[in-house]
Amino acid sequence: MQDRIHTGMTLEEKLDVLSDAAKYDVSCTSSGVDRKGDGTGMGNCSKAGICHSFSSDGRCISLLKILFTNECIYDCRYCVNRSSNDIVRASFTPEEVCTLTMEFYRRNYIEGLFLSSGVLKSPDYTMELIYATLYRLRHVCRFQGYIHVKAIPGANQRLIRLTGYLADRMSVNLELPTAGSLRLLAPHKSRRNILTPMRLVQNLSEENRQEIALYRNAPRFVPAGQSTQMIIGATPETDRQILNVAESLYKKFDLKRVFYSAFVPVNKDSALPVLPGDKPPLLREHRLYQADWLLRFYHFEAAELLDEDNPNFNVLLDPKCCWALRHLEQFPVEVNRADYRMLLRVPGIGYKSAVRIVKARKMGQLTFDDLKKTGVVLKRALYFITCGGRMMYPVRMDEDYITRNLLNTRDKLLGGSDGITFRQLSLFDDMNFNGVDIR
Amino acid sequence: MRQIYICTDTITGLYSALHDAWAENRDGDAGISLKGRAQQQLFCQYKTVVETEQKARRLERMIRRYMGYNTYWDIYHALLSEDCEKGTAVFRTMQAARRIEDSRRIMEHLGDQDVAKVFAMSRSVSNEAHMYEEFIRFRELDSGILFSEISPKAQILTCIADHFADRFPLENWMIYDKVHEVFLVHKKQERWALVWGGMADADALERVSENEKDYEKLWQIFFSSISVRERENPKCQRNHLPFRFRPEMTEFAEEK
Ligand code: SF4
Repeated sequence: MQDRIHTGMTLEEKLDVLSDAAKYDVSCTSSGVDRKGDGTGMGNCSKAGICHSFSSDGRCISLLKILFTNECIYDCRYCVNRSSNDIVRASFTPEEVCTLTMEFYRRNYIEGLFLSSGVLKSPDYTMELIYATLYRLRHVCRFQGYIHVKAIPGANQRLIRLTGYLADRMSVNLELPTAGSLRLLAPHKSRRNILTPMRLVQNLSEENRQEIALYRNAPRFVPAGQSTQMIIGATPETDRQILNVAESLYKKFDLKRVFYSAFVPVNKDSALPVLPGDKPPLLREHRLYQADWLLRFYHFEAAELLDEDNPNFNVLLDPKCCWALRHLEQFPVEVNRADYRMLLRVPGIGYKSAVRIVKARKMGQLTFDDLKKTGVVLKRALYFITCGGRMMYPVRMDEDYITRNLLNTRDKLLGGSDGITFRQLSLFDDMNFNGVDIR
Repeated sequence: MRQIYICTDTITGLYSALHDAWAENRDGDAGISLKGRAQQQLFCQYKTVVETEQKARRLERMIRRYMGYNTYWDIYHALLSEDCEKGTAVFRTMQAARRIEDSRRIMEHLGDQDVAKVFAMSRSVSNEAHMYEEFIRFRELDSGILFSEISPKAQILTCIADHFADRFPLENWMIYDKVHEVFLVHKKQERWALVWGGMADADALERVSENEKDYEKLWQIFFSSISVRERENPKCQRNHLPFRFRPEMTEFAEEK
């Protein structure tokens, strides 16, 4: 299987190169599937996912995230591994990947494997290697932990299907938000080429669900579903375009997650933008995650959050606050009566709080004090609610007035010195984000 | 005179104490103190509890039956906490449960100080246990045994045992709680067990297998190369992974 000569490369060197090359892939979650061990091998999975460490960029390490190879016949402009780059190339063997996974897992370093790859020789050839690796890991090593694998666009459908039965999650990277951008920066890829395997995985999952309904013991096809990611800020799309793309992926392709990856300039290339301060657009990425959350758990539509006049998110305020400020005519809402969906739209009320409010108010009229106990962030919510017909303080329902007040109480972080803290997921406070699923 | 029951800081000890306190003083004021950590107070009467499995089991059954599984779960976790007052808080919670209509819903009465305390202890213990499921690191000894040492605040070993037993059914593994001096031992294809008492053979626990150092090194390589320099953020890292866990984690070995 060794086609190129990798003379003298130790496993350490390979791991160094091939994890370094994989680090720009943002998704590292091990969530979405609950599976006990069956006693004949090693490993299990827990629905919420488990983090095992945190790297110095503050991201969770859950999976052994590596490329099978960083060889690539393609030349995507934004990618370190592009064929025109003169870099050290390495490839694992399936055995090496299995050994690393098993030995790391045994020591409780990881929750499983995230296997991606450059395209070696051809999509089929690469997919075959990936399949061989997973097959060995599942059937020879009897590994029952989590596996997230990339489907290589253009690879034979049968191979993708077989691989999907060995993996928990499969993803195809959308890479860039629009077909035009793809043409510009990834000349060897096309939108169609990427969407085809995505559709395939979706259809196979659907078929599999029916099989399982009939035969409970039918093998599972990517039980944790399908995800994708796109790079933000390498091309001129607006937030609105990006969010619309995400929305249609959720609706039409039944994706579990869309990940957004702030563009990190690794190549000098005239087709790529120069970033202010050479910093990846982390705040923008953060806003997109917040909006994504609103689509998935708060019953918002992309078109409500951004429109032609406001094509990008506000730097200072999160998307939900912005929406509320533009719809002041719907506020204040009475928390003792408003329906669940309306509660979800109130800044400062997360979906857990909304559920608690609906339950608690059955027992009797809620007061502002009760609200606090449900986890509502009152200093934000107070401009938008009444409790028993009264607002907490007299508030003028005026966009500028409320904006000024909201800004006084939060997002001080923007003035922070390291300028990066706003990226922190803990800031999803208003959404009761507990960090579980974004790993 | 207030009766204080003195017991060891173990589940059997605390359950036995609760058992006696309940039998003798359920309508009165009583306290439970831990052996060696009790402060003598005036106007109190002290009594060392005779600890038996039987009492413990009887009490456990009673809690489950009258207070429901969820309350039992909270009480069990609370009793593993490092807080010396845990026994008394649980005893008073049991008394409070008797005063309400549906004793199974006692944990919803967070307005009650003792209930709130039990709840907080239970949360903190189960959180810590979960952290250890994430952060425990095993090393392979030359005997092939996977071994880990930890310094938890609470006695979390039983909380994580099923998790690892399900995960590594075919391995011999062992986790040593240095603070409470307890081993969690799992033999290949058998059930796990707790073993109290000193180090088996301290030297043997230092002798690692031939490949161990290689995998540690590989993991450290991975750990540093997976981080994106442009996104460096130690503050966030510290929020998720507090310093106190790091001395026992392979990837931070150099920082020791
Ligand atoms: S196909 Fe993938 S690995 Fe190859 S250059 Fe494009 S992005 Fe990089």
